[in-house]
Amino acid sequence: MSEARTAILRRLREGQRTGRMPAIPRAQVPEPSPQTADELAGRFSGELAALGVELHVEASADAVRTRVKTIVGEQRVFSWDAAFLPYDLGSVPMNFIFGTASRDEQAGAEIGLTGCDAAIAETGTLALLAGTGRPRAASLLPPVHLAVVRRGDLRFGMGEYFRDRADAIAQASSCMMITGPSRTADIELTLTLGVHGPGKVIVVIGP
Amino acid sequence: MAFAERAIDALADARLRGALDRVTGALGSRRESAFASLDHAEIVRDAARAARLTAIEDLAGHLERFEARLMANGARVHWAETPDAANRIVADIAERAGVRRAVKSKSMVSEETHLNAALERAGVVAVETDLGEYIVQLANDRPSHIIAPIIHLTRQDVGRVMERQLAVPYTDDTRELAAIARQRLRQEFLRADMGITGANFGVVETGTICLVTNEGNGRMVTTMPRVHVVFMGIEKLIPTLADLDRCLKVLARSATGQKLTVYTTLVNGPRKPGERDGPEELHVVLLDNGRSRMRGGETAEILGCIRCGACLNVCPVYRTIGGHAYGDIYPGPVGAVVTPGLRGLEPFRELPGASSLCGACRDVCPVRLDIPRMLLALRDRVEREAPTSRALGRAMKMFAWVASRPVLYRRGAALVRWSLRRLSSNGWITRAPGPAAPWTKYRDLKAPGPRTFQEQWKAWRSQSSQSSQSSQRSQRSQR
Repeated sequence: MSEARTAILRRLREGQRTGRMPAIPRAQVPEPSPQTADELAGRFSGELAALGVELHVEASADAVRTRVKTIVGEQRVFSWDAAFLPYDLGSVPMNFIFGTASRDEQAGAEIGLTGCDAAIAETGTLALLAGTGRPRAASLLPPVHLAVVRRGDLRFGMGEYFRDRADAIAQASSCMMITGPSRTADIELTLTLGVHGPGKVIVVIGP
Repeated sequence: MAFAERAIDALADARLRGALDRVTGALGSRRESAFASLDHAEIVRDAARAARLTAIEDLAGHLERFEARLMANGARVHWAETPDAANRIVADIAERAGVRRAVKSKSMVSEETHLNAALERAGVVAVETDLGEYIVQLANDRPSHIIAPIIHLTRQDVGRVMERQLAVPYTDDTRELAAIARQRLRQEFLRADMGITGANFGVVETGTICLVTNEGNGRMVTTMPRVHVVFMGIEKLIPTLADLDRCLKVLARSATGQKLTVYTTLVNGPRKPGERDGPEELHVVLLDNGRSRMRGGETAEILGCIRCGACLNVCPVYRTIGGHAYGDIYPGPVGAVVTPGLRGLEPFRELPGASSLCGACRDVCPVRLDIPRMLLALRDRVEREAPTSRALGRAMKMFAWVASRPVLYRRGAALVRWSLRRLSSNGWITRAPGPAAPWTKYRDLKAPGPRTFQEQWKAWRSQSSQSSQSSQRSQRSQR
C-alpha cells in the first residue's frame, strides 16, 4: 500500500486522540405514515406539476401504448432495449435506435424512451439503474425524456427506495435519480431549462 | 494583498454589493421555504449531522472500509497527501489511458489543487462543464460562491466573455447564453476521453460516489468518457445509504432551496459487461491536503461540512464583501475556518476575524456546525502564536485586573463615562481621538446614558423590594 495512505491514516488515528469533536446526536427519524397507492400517485403528480413535468395517467396497457405512440409520433427515439420497457412498448412501431447505435446517432435522437426502477412520490423523482439494455444516455442526450412508470413502482421517499431495493442499487454500476428537467440558475439566478440534460421530461403512468 | 485591503476593494464595488444583496437574499429565503416542506426537519438535520460526525469521528476506519468496497466494485483507489501528488496521479492516469481531452463537473477539491493547470502542463485540455464554472474558466476568473460561482458577474459580463472567447455575436439573453454553452459543451462531452468529478458524498457501506447537479453535466461526465476520475477530499464520507437519504434531504434545501437536485447520480463502479455506456475505468483519488491535521485540532468539526453554501448567504460579512476577499477557494464563514486549516493559519490569520460572531451560520448550517466556536478557537491561536500588539495585550491584562476589583472598576467606569460624555455632542460621538479614531471612521458611537447599569439596577432593586414589602403587608392586613 502507498506511503501516502499509511501517513494519512496514521495522522487521522493520532488526531482521533487529540482532536476536539462534539458529541454525536442521537436522531431517530420517524417512518413516514403508510400511504395508499392513490395517495402516492397524488403526491407524485403534484410534485411533477411543480417541477414542470408533463404527466399522463393511463388506465390500461393499451392506453399507455397509444399515449406513447402519440407523444413520439415520427420522431427518432433513443430507447432502452424492448425487453426492458414496460407494457410491451417495444412492440409499438416506432423509429427506434438503441444503445448499440453510434454516438452520433444517439446524439441526433429527438426523444429518449425509458422505464424506471422506481418513482419517488415525495420529490417527483425517477430512479433508473444502469445495466445491459438500459443505456444511461437514453435519459440524457435527447432534448426530451419520456419515462414510463408502473403504478406499482411508486415509493414514498428515497429512504424507502434505498431500503426496498438495496441489493439492486448496490449491484448496478450506476443509479440515476432524475427530478424534473435539466436546469441552471447560474446567470443572475435566472432559471433556464435544458442546459445539458433534457429540457423537457414527460411521464406516463400505467396501471 | 491582505484581507483588509481586499475587503476595502470589494466594499468600493457598488455593483458587486448589489448582486450580493440580491442573490444571497433570494437563496436565503428559498432555503427557508424549502425547509418548511420537510417533515421532522430538525430531526433530519440531527440525523445528517450524526451521519457526518460518525464518519469523521473514526475517519481512518471509515476510509479503510470505503476503499475496500470501492476496490471490490472494480474501482482503483489512489491516496494523495498534497495537491501536487493528487495532480500527478491524475496526469499519470491520463497518460496511461492516452487521454487528450477531459471534461470536468464542478469539483472544489480540484480548485484546491489547481488541477486544470497541472493537466494542461501534462498536455491534457480540461474543460469545466458547470455553466458558471465554464464562464469562470473562459473569463480566467475565480468562483466567488460555493453554489453560485459567478454571483459577481452580470449577464452583460457573461455576454461579453462569450463574445470574446467563443467568437459568437454578443447577447445578454440568459437563455441564449445557456444555449451557446450547451452547444459548445455538447461537443466536448462527446469527444472527451476522461471525465473528472468531485464527490458530494462517499457512502462507505456500498462504496458509492454520490454526485448532485442540476444541469446534467455530472451525468454527462460519468456517462460519455471512457475514464472517470473522482477527485475527493478524504472527509466526504457517510456510513450508509440511509444516511445519504438524510444528507440529500438537507443539502439541496440548504444550497438552492430545492427539495432535491435535478440529477442525483450514484456511481458504484465502472460499466459492467454488456453495458453500452459509462466509464470503462473508474479511479478515486482521496486527497488529504491538511484535512488529517485538522482532525487532530480544535476545528475537527468543520470536516463535517457538506458544502451547501447556506452560511455564506446569511453571513453579514460575506454578504457585504463577497467571496474573492477571502483570498482562497472556500469563502464565507466555512472558508474562514477551512482555509486556515488547509493552508496554514499564518497567511490567513485575518480570516477568523472576518466574522461578527452573530451565529447566523451556526443557525442555518444543515449539520449544525458550531462555526463561531471554531472561529474563536482560531482567534485564540492567532493571538497565542503572534500577539497583534504588545500594548493591546498589556491593556487587556490591566483591564482584567481592574475589572476583578469592584471599587476600582466603578471608579474607572465613571472616569470613562465622564470622558465619553465630554467627547459627545447631541448624544453621539462622531470622532474619537488617538488609537480609537478608526472606530468612528465608519460609524458613530452613542454617548453613555446619565446613569450606569449598576446604578439603575440598585435603584430598581430598592424600589421593587419596597413594593413587595408593601404588598406583603397589604395581604396580611386582608387576612
